[in-house]
Amino acid sequence: MKVKVLLFGPERDAVGASSVVVEVAHGASAADVLGALASQCPSIANAVRAARLAVNGEFAQRDRRVLENDECALIGLVSGG
Amino acid sequence: MNTVANDTPIITITLIDGPLGVSCAALPLLGDGACTVGAALKFEGIVRAQEGERVIAALNYEAYRPMADRLLEQLAREVCIKHGLVRVAVEHSVGRVAVGECSFRLTIDSAHRVEALLAMGEFIDRMKIDVPLWKRPVFHNDVDERASHER
Repeated sequence: MKVKVLLFGPERDAVGASSVVVEVAHGASAADVLGALASQCPSIANAVRAARLAVNGEFAQRDRRVLENDECALIGLVSGG
Repeated sequence: MNTVANDTPIITITLIDGPLGVSCAALPLLGDGACTVGAALKFEGIVRAQEGERVIAALNYEAYRPMADRLLEQLAREVCIKHGLVRVAVEHSVGRVAVGECSFRLTIDSAHRVEALLAMGEFIDRMKIDVPLWKRPVFHNDVDERASHER
């Protein structure tokens, strides 16, 4: 299945896009989505390893199952304030 | 402005496009709530001219909404409960904020100074770990931008 992952901040700048669509198996976990993202976008692979995936606006545990229409977002190092 | 005001505490979360001006959220409390306040703290984050070795023109702030709003509210509620605060008002900019302008304001009211001072540091530290907000320096030459990972 295809999962769209939103990108922000330095990761978006590095990829040059505000989102990336990754291909993962049905029943894939948040960790699988992050792995697919790192493989597809080597320029942010290191950042992805330290980042969290948000699914539908909530930080996801690595084993959380992801569905095709879920809103996924890569949350790397944040820098508010 | 997203306002959460049950009986107590009073929590307001405001994300504003551009620099923060004068705000109702930071005004002294009036009415019943004011009777319990013995300490009123206000922190303002101002955009510095210096970014590392370089001079910048502004910072561009980005938020992943509504997750950022919700986490700010959750964090404000947690520190309110933990420290027994009367009020937490959070204001944060999105978009461009020029050097010298205010991009973040945290207003905390409590009965005594100790809990307000503790809550102030705790809120900011946790915000910089968990809340999906990012800033990017804008240099005087707009083409020359780079991401900021500073905390």
